[in-house]
Amino acid sequence: MTAATQTAILPPRRRQRFADSMRVVLSSRVAVVGLVIVLFWVVVAIGAPVFTKYDPSKDQDYKALDQAPSAQHFLGTDHLGRDVWSRVAYGARTILLLGPLSVAVAFLIGMALGLPAGYYGGWLDEVIMRLLDALMAFPTILLYMIIISALGASPVNVVIAISVGGAPGIARLVRALTLDIRTREYVSAAKLRGDSAARIMAREILPNCRGPLIVDFLLRVGYAAFYIGTLGFLGLGLPPPTPDWGGMVQEGHARMMANPWPVLAATGAIVTLVIGLNLFADGLREETMRYQ
Amino acid sequence: MNEVPILSVKDLAVSYKTRKGQVDAVRDVSFDICEGENLGLVGESGCGKSTVAFSIVNFLGPNGFVSNGQILFKGQELRGRSEEELRKLRGADIAMVYQEPMSALNPSMMIRDQLAESLVIHRGMKREDAYRECEEALHRVYMPDVEGVMKRYSFQLSGGQQQRVLIAMAMLNNPALLIMDEPTTALDVTVEAAVLDLIAELKQKYRTATLYISHNLGVVARVSDKVAVMYAGEVVEYATTKDIYARPTHPYTKGLMRCLPDVDAPKGTRVLVPIPGRVPSPDQVPAGCIFAPRCEHRKDTCDVGRPQLLEVATGHLVRCSSAMEWYAQPIDAAHRIPPPPSREAPPVVLDAESVKTYYPVPFKTVKGLFGMEKRRYVRAVDDVSVTVQRGRTLGIVGESGCGKSTLAKTIVGLEPLRGGKVDFLGIDVTKPIQKRSLSTIRELQMVFQDPNGTLNPSYSVGDQIAESLKRFRTVPSGEVYGEVVRLLRAVKLNENYYHRLPRQMSGGEKQRVGIARAIASNPAMVVCDEPVSALDVSVQAAVLNVLVEVQQQHDTAMILISHDLSAVRFFSDDVAVMYLGRIVEIGPCEAIYSPPSHPYTAALLAAVPRPDPTLEQKNIRLSGVVPSAVNPPSGCRFHTRCPFVMKGVCDVEEPPVQDIGNGHKIVCHLPTEQLYHLNP
Amino acid sequence: MALYIIRRLLTLLLTMIIVSIVVFAVVEIAPGNVARNILGAYATPEQEKSMENQLGLDRPVTARYINWLLGSDWQARGAMGMPVREIVVEQGTQARYRQWWAVDEQGNLVQWKIAGQDLVKLIRQADGSVLEVPDNEAWKEGPDGEQFFWGVDTGNRIAKWVKGQGGVEYRLEYSGWIETAGSPVDYIPLSKGLVRGDMGLSLQYKRPVADVIGRRIQNSLTLAMLAFLVAIPVGVLLGLLAGLNGGKKLDRVLTLGGLVTAATPDFAAGIFLVMIFAMWLKILPGATVYTDASSVLSKPSMLVLPVLTASLVEVGYILRITRASVLEVMSAAYVRTAILKGLPRRKMVFGHVLRNSLMAPVTVIMLHVNWLIGGLVVVEAVFGFPGLGNFILNAALYKDVFAIEAGAMVLVVLAVVSQLVADIIYSYLNPRIRYS
Repeated sequence: MTAATQTAILPPRRRQRFADSMRVVLSSRVAVVGLVIVLFWVVVAIGAPVFTKYDPSKDQDYKALDQAPSAQHFLGTDHLGRDVWSRVAYGARTILLLGPLSVAVAFLIGMALGLPAGYYGGWLDEVIMRLLDALMAFPTILLYMIIISALGASPVNVVIAISVGGAPGIARLVRALTLDIRTREYVSAAKLRGDSAARIMAREILPNCRGPLIVDFLLRVGYAAFYIGTLGFLGLGLPPPTPDWGGMVQEGHARMMANPWPVLAATGAIVTLVIGLNLFADGLREETMRYQ
Repeated sequence: MNEVPILSVKDLAVSYKTRKGQVDAVRDVSFDICEGENLGLVGESGCGKSTVAFSIVNFLGPNGFVSNGQILFKGQELRGRSEEELRKLRGADIAMVYQEPMSALNPSMMIRDQLAESLVIHRGMKREDAYRECEEALHRVYMPDVEGVMKRYSFQLSGGQQQRVLIAMAMLNNPALLIMDEPTTALDVTVEAAVLDLIAELKQKYRTATLYISHNLGVVARVSDKVAVMYAGEVVEYATTKDIYARPTHPYTKGLMRCLPDVDAPKGTRVLVPIPGRVPSPDQVPAGCIFAPRCEHRKDTCDVGRPQLLEVATGHLVRCSSAMEWYAQPIDAAHRIPPPPSREAPPVVLDAESVKTYYPVPFKTVKGLFGMEKRRYVRAVDDVSVTVQRGRTLGIVGESGCGKSTLAKTIVGLEPLRGGKVDFLGIDVTKPIQKRSLSTIRELQMVFQDPNGTLNPSYSVGDQIAESLKRFRTVPSGEVYGEVVRLLRAVKLNENYYHRLPRQMSGGEKQRVGIARAIASNPAMVVCDEPVSALDVSVQAAVLNVLVEVQQQHDTAMILISHDLSAVRFFSDDVAVMYLGRIVEIGPCEAIYSPPSHPYTAALLAAVPRPDPTLEQKNIRLSGVVPSAVNPPSGCRFHTRCPFVMKGVCDVEEPPVQDIGNGHKIVCHLPTEQLYHLNP
Repeated sequence: MALYIIRRLLTLLLTMIIVSIVVFAVVEIAPGNVARNILGAYATPEQEKSMENQLGLDRPVTARYINWLLGSDWQARGAMGMPVREIVVEQGTQARYRQWWAVDEQGNLVQWKIAGQDLVKLIRQADGSVLEVPDNEAWKEGPDGEQFFWGVDTGNRIAKWVKGQGGVEYRLEYSGWIETAGSPVDYIPLSKGLVRGDMGLSLQYKRPVADVIGRRIQNSLTLAMLAFLVAIPVGVLLGLLAGLNGGKKLDRVLTLGGLVTAATPDFAAGIFLVMIFAMWLKILPGATVYTDASSVLSKPSMLVLPVLTASLVEVGYILRITRASVLEVMSAAYVRTAILKGLPRRKMVFGHVLRNSLMAPVTVIMLHVNWLIGGLVVVEAVFGFPGLGNFILNAALYKDVFAIEAGAMVLVVLAVVSQLVADIIYSYLNPRIRYS
């Protein structure tokens, strides 16, 4: 029982919570399947240099362009003779780094807007909400497109675009949760202790939003992967030599008749990752609902 | 009795399949209901009462099933019937009324269509004919404005009206058996009284056999002929209503009776005896007597083998191995104590004068949107003055929506004042809590209503109490742990609770932690907002006892907000009765509970269900619904519902304050003479 | 109800104002110079400056925002003391040009140009020809004694000429740089503004955006409508099936299928479909080729795969929403009432479950229009479909500012209007809102 020995080190409350959350995850078959898929890509991303024989960008074999899978090139090569598997493996790094990072930034912005809007209400809420309404009126892809076309395609700008696009939704969720929680009596109790508004938001409200927020975070990482892929496909992702799944599809798309392998491999990678994240989040949500 | 009972349940067991295996939620339940008979099924929440009800119509959800016993309806077995056969019985021969009338009605379907459906299906009636019949059915349940109600949606009706619709719906096909699952629990006490009257009348008229489920012993005493007391999935006592209230025998039944505050007993004359522990969950039922872990008379033999039902007198069955012994011993009157001597008037701690709390109403018209209309306000508290003295309790009673909770929140500073003045310990606290000094805040604390909301689910109990101690620097930081433990002990919890998370505790325990947190700063006054109304009766007593003890030890001034007149009488020295944002009667507790009375107070007192079936109660019943606090009625605010309204006076002039003496004041137009004859 | 709709309209107006500021601002902060973008990397600073002046890019941000949104023609009247009018000139059957003219006291359409030292008035005749008349009396005296004149020039701008002090105007024509001396010193490009339908000039197409975008909006709307027509019934039906069979095998299969289709990015779905139907089965074309003028409906076979791709993601999403809603309603107390009233299952489902459980999907589906529109961009890119999405994508890649701005605004308007419609439908469906 490794789980038991590990949890024994944690203080009682943490241990309790850790055991609880592990139970929740493991009791949902859907969540476990999702987790396995996601972990597969995480392992591939971390161990990319170990699992691949070629450099994803530099190793261009002009004698072996557009090859089908073989013992040499496990997923074939692309039109520049680069190893598709290497590009997929290193591409996992890109997406697994940028995805969670951009969602984390979005969460920071979303929480900074949603908490005070929900807690104070009144004109502050009104102003923030109108602003968010406007941002949410944009079709997501459109917002990404104009931001990227304005700022140019780069990893940082992809993060900016995705966090700006995601923040309004998170802010709304946080606001809704805050509106609910601020009417709870323990918030009144904190006021009767003379706690400041900031302290109440940080200690009384935020910790009790964590369930829905964790599920939302996972779902959004899925969407982020979805959109990073899509941006890459639209030619607004990372600049070319970088191994990027969406970019691989974009490059290979026009030449799909001649060599479907890069496109197939990259779309397959995106689809499995997004589905894995969705399954994980979905299973977790259903299970926490049942748990309550 | 040779007649065949309408419903006869024998050795019923209901089980649920869960991930942990099969769990028996109900075991060994047997009872009969004959024509014209009302069987009350009482017990605390989680005792399996509703499960029994739903097993009769085989509606137990995908994982529940009847695992043993017989359910005979008019002598015919219901178990194993096909879904289609059951469907034909449901709504026709067996009808149900539910606890939450609001959610039991479809929000997107007119009332008349929901009613008519039943007739169309079971009797093949045409819609038009069915509508006519439905109108008659609504008349039978004394629904006002029947034609209007027919075309309305559920959310356009008041709770009492919704419940009348559901009763009318159940009675449409003249069922042989009516199952009522806590039909009045969600209603206000005056509305409850009227619905109970209706249920009693319908039983007289139509002689429908009724299974009446309730947690409230007083309600069952009023409507039932026989009572089955359930505990943890088993019937522990079964007898006629008269017998069971005269000679409660099972220790659990006795316990339930002794932990109820008595609306007729003044403060300090009774001790409530709480039942320790809590109802075990169905998968953790003890092996021997199910009640043994909480029983004060527990013997070693109790842990071995399930006790059988013993017949202690004709038709009086008790599931206890020592039943004969307890039957011989009537409920002890030893728990009544003489009232304490009255003291000199102690100093005033809180003096609130003409307090007003208004909430703005969102604009409902196009004009209002453009600021062309005057802002309107919900006058939740409108010109209320109260004082509270050291070591004494002011009880504030009234139905939901009367503004009592708002008043409490205004006093502690959680809601902003719109008018008036509040003086606390000589300090002006006419300002919200954000602007009060820490030293004022620590002296004025609050105990909240909802046990599930009172504690932050993310932190342990000890941390939450310690938080207050650290903030107010009640004790040096090195002594915080010890002080938390002392406070936990003060509310009858032990040191082990320090590291518990709120979800690992029962409602009563959480409320007690809430009290410990409130008294952590050693406040001069504690405002308790419905501290026991969400709790089961057996744990209410424990919480009330803790409050009494705290007050005695620290001479704390308290405000007790409650809709429960018994709880208020148990704990209050003074009482204010509120209606629609105003105080209609105020004075010493004893004076409020005896004549002369304001008509509203009299109606409230008459509506209290008492656990004594022999008691004849006066029927002062209120009609209509509480008017909106945005547009309170002119003159006396109570005139729209007052049975003694004087046209031309009450609806025009503000009522005068009649000073009866000794601080007892009644705000009413009726002559004092008449007020003396209102009280039951 | 009326109040509700008015309130929604007001917030919508506010939303659109903020959206327009956001769009304008995002394009504004774009690093890289629009003038340089047009001119190419080898333009001299003078050329660049002249170009910025001509495009009005050197004017303050607020002025440009207002001109972009509300037009500048009403400002022209203040500067010139004469109203201006936009006319459409047709040459042959294909080419159409928009031209701005001033309207003088006689009702003639006039423009001005400089010929040497002379100000020349161009008067447009009824047959379209132009009469040139010297107009030196028109010079006005400025505060510093200089002679100046504000008028409409031949490049759809109002321009300020100063006598004897002409600037140098650089213009890039197909033949190369044209340098004109004695040109105006200041320009305000004339436009009616976005809200009045003038979307500016596409730098990429060298034509007014409005002329290019119309057909594309139509194409995209056709695609969106078809996708919705496929996705909504299929999604709702499958969702109902799953929900009513909650927990059973059919439900599991459908839910998983819904999750997979909803999680598959549009481009991936498109590519898979192309691989299957175009490359492998060879029964449908894998790309779309339309002439500019023809309706997309003229070649239905080319629409099949785009519509299918766009609806696939939607089907999964709608299925999941509907299923969740059905499950929630099925566990509601009033459904229990209906069952224990003895209603047969069919009546229970149609009378009580359907209406209540379709309310949530209606709003969610329409709120999801945003998503569908986003998906269209991708689908159009996959299939080379001549729609609005592809237009904006190309504009974004080309940094065609006015086209991005206009396209984005049109897309957002489409999205918010459909959401408003959804809201109104929903409040009509739900008596609880209707009666409040």
